[in-house]
Amino acid sequence: MTITLQEVLPTYFDESRRQQSEVWGKQLVFNKGEYIKIVAPSGSGKSSLSHFLYGMRNEYNGQILYNDQKLHSFTVEDFARYRKDHISIVFQDLRLFPEQTVRENLELKRQLNPYHPAEKITEMAERLGIGSRLSVKSRICSYGEQQRVAIIRALLQPFDFLLLDEPFSHLDDNNSKKAMELMLEEAKARGAGIVFADLERIDFFPWTRLYHL
Amino acid sequence: MALSFQPVKPLLQTGTNAASRWFSYIGLGIGVLLLLCSIQMYINIQQLLGGDSPRKDGFDFISISKTITDETMGQLEKNLFTEPDIKEMEGKPFVDGVSPLLANNFRFQLSGGALVPFVSDFFVESLDDSFIDTVPPSFTWQPGDRLVPIIIASDFLEIYNVFAPGYGLPQISEATATTLGLQLICYRPDGSKETFRGRVVALSDRVNSIIVPKNFLNWANQQFGTTKEIRASRLYVKTKDANNPDFLSYLEQKHYKVNKDKTKFGRVKQVLQGIFSGLGIFGLLVVILALMLFSFYLQLMIARSKDNLQLLLVLGYSPDWLSKNVARRFIPVYILVVFFAVAFTQLMQWAFHHFAMFDREEISTPLHWSVFVTAGFLIALSLVTNYRMVRKLLYRMA
Repeated sequence: MTITLQEVLPTYFDESRRQQSEVWGKQLVFNKGEYIKIVAPSGSGKSSLSHFLYGMRNEYNGQILYNDQKLHSFTVEDFARYRKDHISIVFQDLRLFPEQTVRENLELKRQLNPYHPAEKITEMAERLGIGSRLSVKSRICSYGEQQRVAIIRALLQPFDFLLLDEPFSHLDDNNSKKAMELMLEEAKARGAGIVFADLERIDFFPWTRLYHL
Repeated sequence: MALSFQPVKPLLQTGTNAASRWFSYIGLGIGVLLLLCSIQMYINIQQLLGGDSPRKDGFDFISISKTITDETMGQLEKNLFTEPDIKEMEGKPFVDGVSPLLANNFRFQLSGGALVPFVSDFFVESLDDSFIDTVPPSFTWQPGDRLVPIIIASDFLEIYNVFAPGYGLPQISEATATTLGLQLICYRPDGSKETFRGRVVALSDRVNSIIVPKNFLNWANQQFGTTKEIRASRLYVKTKDANNPDFLSYLEQKHYKVNKDKTKFGRVKQVLQGIFSGLGIFGLLVVILALMLFSFYLQLMIARSKDNLQLLLVLGYSPDWLSKNVARRFIPVYILVVFFAVAFTQLMQWAFHHFAMFDREEISTPLHWSVFVTAGFLIALSLVTNYRMVRKLLYRMA
């Protein structure tokens, strides 16, 4: 299982980025099981990269391949299967259903391709300190709580790669560490790779490769 | 474990525009009811008027004659059809067959025999067998036969029964008429006569005449007649549609007169069928309008739930699965709406059969199968149109 980037550059970026960046305009292969850290200052295209890899946007030149298959050639149904079975994401902007409870938000993802039993939701929520918030509407939760919900949601399905787009922006160090621990456990259990994009290095992420965007 | 639509359902915002949804359900119900009632009434008319129609094998048979005016009175060649007239008519595209009603060209008398002591000068005619509605196998004659089979118009029997008592003659039933021993008396120009035995083998609703086998009349005209030329005062025309405008204008142009009586049933039936076809088309339009209203409602619902649906797609929900399930949500409602329309149609049919038709046997109280087929088709149509529309919108969103 690999994700290959072949000279990918967002259409809205200047060509000069190819020289400045270690990712844009380069040939890269991410293998399953690898932990990739991408350090990127604001505006360098972190979210764009995550969205391109997840297949949500396609305004880029070059190619992204999942197992030698171009994402550009995917149909909407192919993307549905890709997101259900092979790739998971924690969005920077969280993207929860505001009118549903925390548990409903998590169950909506879990039932799609259940990797864990329903009880695991409670266990993970307890572990990240939001066990008491399960029956609260997600719009009532704080950003920190919502971010933890988004993290748990990403871990309820099978995946080969986990994409993290500034996953700890609303969390303190202690909670970030707990969440990272849980994510590493889950990735290990699946033998999956992690592509972690953030503003700066984070000590508690044991990356195997580091790139500057 | 199968993917459940239950947790997805609350994400579709349907609450605030319930009125437009109910309007579309009611509209759909009315449209389906109109359509189904029209189909059933159309079938009722077919069944009620089908038996009495002068149509045979899908054709109209009408008799035409030349209009006798003050100018043409007494001029045989102007009032009779000649062979070129017949040939011309046969060549017309709206005519499927022509048969002249050939009359006797000699003096002819009909006698009731011993049972009905009644003698009168009369006429006989002949017509191609295929133009007669009732032709029994016994309607044949060979030269040398003394017995001649006859087909008489049922109207004639009726007329006879009207005047018979006044003349002290017995009235005759249809069954007796066919057992009567009649005498056919043919006169030569010199006054000598020859008598044949006649037997009524059938009564005809279509042909207003006394019909004998064609070869008998041909033979008799040769034997007793004065002219050899084929001249007919009436023609029988076989046509797909007696109300075809081209056909009618041709008849008018040639100053031919149509026996309207025999096409009247056809016309009444056509008018009624026209009315119910119109009503059916109106019903179909209402159904289409209701489906459109419902599709607007669905589009509104999808627009209102756009964020939620988009997030579902981002999370990995299949647009096809979502479309199917959104469309499936309305199956029970559609089935219920159509079920009520079928029930009302059944009620209407029962009332029509019982109160308006006094339980006549030609039609039945249970609805015709085609009504049920149409109802099923409408349910399928509603679901397919919904599914396709939701699918299109979701694919655009994905």
